[in-house]
Amino acid sequence: MSPDSTLGVPEGDLLHSRVASDAGETLAAALDTELTGYAVFEPQGSLLGGGDDATVVTFEAGVPVLAYDATTDCGGPDALDALDAAGPYRVELFELAAADLQVVHRDETHRVPPARPADRLSTDPELAERTRAAAPDHRRADERSSVEAFLADADRIEELKREARREAQSRAEEWGLTGQLEE
Amino acid sequence: MVEAFAVASGKGGTGKTTSTLALGMALSERYDVTVIDADTGMANLLFHTGLDDADVTLHDLLVEGCDASVDDAVYDRFGMSVVPCGTSLEAFEAADPARLREVVAELAADTDVLLLDSPAALGSKSAVLPVVLADRVVVVLQPTVPSLSDGLKVQEYARSYGTETAGVLFNRVRDDEDTERIAEQAARYFGGTTLASVPESDAVRAARRAGKPLLAHAPTDPAADAFHEAASNLDVRDGDAAGVADRFKSAVLPDRV
Ligand SMILES: Nc1ncnc2c1ncn2[C@@H]1O[C@H](COP(=O)(O)OP(=O)(O)OP(=O)(O)O)[C@@H](O)[C@H]1O
Ligand SMILES: [Mg+2]
Repeated sequence: MSPDSTLGVPEGDLLHSRVASDAGETLAAALDTELTGYAVFEPQGSLLGGGDDATVVTFEAGVPVLAYDATTDCGGPDALDALDAAGPYRVELFELAAADLQVVHRDETHRVPPARPADRLSTDPELAERTRAAAPDHRRADERSSVEAFLADADRIEELKREARREAQSRAEEWGLTGQLEE
Repeated sequence: MVEAFAVASGKGGTGKTTSTLALGMALSERYDVTVIDADTGMANLLFHTGLDDADVTLHDLLVEGCDASVDDAVYDRFGMSVVPCGTSLEAFEAADPARLREVVAELAADTDVLLLDSPAALGSKSAVLPVVLADRVVVVLQPTVPSLSDGLKVQEYARSYGTETAGVLFNRVRDDEDTERIAEQAARYFGGTTLASVPESDAVRAARRAGKPLLAHAPTDPAADAFHEAASNLDVRDGDAAGVADRFKSAVLPDRV
């Protein structure tokens, strides 16, 4: 699987290709080996269904930089949503020379806060902390600005709250807890 | 008086257990405090309090027909009454989460502040029970988007059950994070007060390894100071114990999950 054409991530050296149920393992491996390169995640469902969804996460010294959907090129934190509950995945991990990624990593629209992939995809909360700790200062600024953008979007937050309320109501019915609900 | 707080976050690993015990210890300077490991599926409060081999735990109390009394599962540790939960999956499966309300009712009769260390997820009845049963919720947040969004979610779940937010606690904050600004912005969406910003600190992990709450292991660490500040910013309300006990008892919960 090529990392994608339009963004211009060059093809790297394949380190491994395997099926994983927890995308966090791949992220942890990248962090521990301080990988510079990228990982391609293909949900197994799409392999079986014949689709070709694939999400690419790039790394600089083990810390995630970009995330994007290889077919649509849509990127940034939303690209991780496609992977969220979609495991198991086929994961391919590629290594690249730092210089080859430098240009691509200037792209800001596909960038993710360093610990976001771990936050979303790993079952181990410590991985996100370790990633945050490993991230250089300028990358931690990505996290700050994404938090500020999130909190500045009052409409999106109101919608998130309404959705949570709807979910709470329907779950209460499922669990026989409607008697405990407030009017 | 008694007020029951669920310490919750909606997300794993934000520091609920750490915060439950740290707030509990700080509050125990002024109140009679009982902490309960209400994370019955992934109990770990026992590891933070040196109770790894406690004989009787909350799990035993949640099993129908068990002859242990509630008192048997209460341990005096670090100036608090600690009710640990066991870690065996089998015991969890045998446990009836709905019995938690009776246990909480009984404990409420005898304390000023009840802290319920709550599970990370909201995906099962036993996971939401702490926010259903509590008077108010303390939301533990990290200054990240996933944590804030899960925190909002747990707040709305709690509100659906009439459980308002007492305050939010920012945890694992790094030097370069401008939490003051974030907290100010977040306050528009969260109820209650901003209790404190607890720094990321090695002492927290060391305390866990030592099997002690942070405030016992490193009482002068900056993180411990922040938890003291949080405790003093938490306005504990007067609830009448009999009333609370009644409310818990009258919470009609179906028997099984
Ligand atoms: N302020 C802090 N500084 C450094 N490490 C921390 C801090 N707070 C918590 N931790 C560490 O983070 C990990 C998770 O903390 P804790 O168990 O309290 O979280 P939790 O929300 O109860 O987790 P879970 O969702 O699994 O129940 C622990 O290893 C703990 O030592
Ligand atoms: Mg916990």
